[in-house]
Amino acid sequence: MKKFMFVLMAGLFVCSQAALAGNVTGSAAFSGTAPAKTEIVMAADPTCASLHTEPVYTEEAVVNSNNTLKNVFVYVKTGLEGKTFPAATTPVSFDQNGCHYMPHVTGVMVGQPLEIINSDSTLHNVHSLAKESKEFNLGMPIKGMKIKKTFEKPEIMVKMKCDVHPWMNAYVGVVSNPFFAVTGEDGSFEIKDLPAGTYTLAAWHETFGEQTAEVTVADGQPATANFSFSG
Amino acid sequence: MTSPSSNSIWLYRYSLLVVFATVLLILAGGLVTSHEAGLAVPDWPLSYGQMMPPMVGNVFWEHGHRMIAGTVGILTLVLTLWVQFGKKCARIKKLAWLAMGAVVLQALLGGLTVILLLPPAVSIFHACLAQTFLCLLVALAFFLSPPFVSAGLAPAAASASNTGTAQRPWLFKFWVLIFAAVYVQLILGAIVRHTSPSHAVVFHVIWAFVVIGLIFLGVRAVLVTLPERQGPARTALTLGLLVIVQFFLGLGAFLYTQVLAHGYAPRTAEIFFASAHHTNGALVLALSLLLTLQVRE
Ligand code: HEM
Ligand SMILES: [Cu+2]
Repeated sequence: MKKFMFVLMAGLFVCSQAALAGNVTGSAAFSGTAPAKTEIVMAADPTCASLHTEPVYTEEAVVNSNNTLKNVFVYVKTGLEGKTFPAATTPVSFDQNGCHYMPHVTGVMVGQPLEIINSDSTLHNVHSLAKESKEFNLGMPIKGMKIKKTFEKPEIMVKMKCDVHPWMNAYVGVVSNPFFAVTGEDGSFEIKDLPAGTYTLAAWHETFGEQTAEVTVADGQPATANFSFSG
Repeated sequence: MTSPSSNSIWLYRYSLLVVFATVLLILAGGLVTSHEAGLAVPDWPLSYGQMMPPMVGNVFWEHGHRMIAGTVGILTLVLTLWVQFGKKCARIKKLAWLAMGAVVLQALLGGLTVILLLPPAVSIFHACLAQTFLCLLVALAFFLSPPFVSAGLAPAAASASNTGTAQRPWLFKFWVLIFAAVYVQLILGAIVRHTSPSHAVVFHVIWAFVVIGLIFLGVRAVLVTLPERQGPARTALTLGLLVIVQFFLGLGAFLYTQVLAHGYAPRTAEIFFASAHHTNGALVLALSLLLTLQVRE
């Protein structure tokens, strides 16, 4: 009986929380001329070159076919002050694959493990240029090798690079809450279960800078936030 | 010891070999910086836990630099020991030990750059000590050279007994000043190379005109006052030529590193100008020292 009461209470609590939160969706539009694509020459490491039959391009500005931007990191800039969130325990995957970081832009919570993987049969060094957290530089000489790393402080954005292959770089957004997303092939994003309230959302892009948008989340109502970048 | 023994000659030739290897090492070090390869091998003293990692991508530059450095370290050790067991005066022996100390310190600094993830201060110190080490070797080779040895004199005695600069001590002092000015230019250059954005480039360019002016005056003074002495005249002319080359390489490095847009990786022209300017700068410094020693005789 006691146990049942507990489950019921817990269930009610979760429901009330959900009712007081809503999802935010939106997209990152792009106007202007898309920068010319730069093809990467991987000749310096024959293994890297052999892993690709199609040309590979740098990703500092990927404009999708629907005139939106890929790799925009969307996060809550203000509105969550004073609230703390326990670090998620599920690792975020960060793969060195084809001498390329996958994904190019990602996010983790402070304390949440970033699982760095080497899927290539060549060596990489993974070098975090974090300014707020401790910088690190680790050798990953063996295929299949995995290392978990965490960041101590929020930082928009931590640059990651490989010094062996100068074309390899990526960005990790480190935030103190679970409400962040990265735009994909259609330029859209979704932040789930943001507690009801008024926020400033920010959208960061490697080349086109940062945009902000105000959004109000009401109980259980979907909200939208759209960003537009120009090149 | 009026005519140099064949052992002395071989020791002198060997010291030149070490000087040459060190110039190559400085070039290799410049190429590491130009390729931004300093952290391509994250561990030290081993490389990816091995003596010999696969030489792919920028590992080629970083590990290659370590291998050449190791070779120069061994060459220097042999030189130091050879000098100790030869019949050399105490000051030359000390100079050899100083060079040995410098190369060991340089290796430790190199390791420190890797472990501390390239803090500018350590990289700048490593860059300056590299050329200081070259200067020590040039001085050592000079004191081991046959003309110097056949004079049968210790470095200190040599200047006291000379006939040339006794009347022209100002020429020696002037070249000490020029050498110091070039050394300052090396420090400024190292700051430009290891900080970004670098405001030091303004001082480096302004100081370049001072250095070039001083070298031209110094070269002219050598040619006018010591026309009968082949050694200094030859060094002076070479130095004059190298400093002109250095100016244009500097312009190229400035254009490619500071003005033009950068790609995802350093471009060939950028690597060429920056590394050539770096190594030729080391030659300018080394020849300034050599000429200073020559006019002191
Ligand atoms: C007498 C003349 C000069 C000397 C002896 C000299 C020496 C040097 C040295 C030794 C370095 C490299 C330091 C290191 O890698 O640790 C350097 C870097 C540099 N110098 Fe000069 N320099 C001279 C003139 C100039 C001039 C005239 C310019 C430009 C107009 C210039 C532009 C630069 C630039 C841009 C760098 C940095 C390159 C990089 O970031 O890779 N230098 N210089
Ligand atoms: Cu890599």
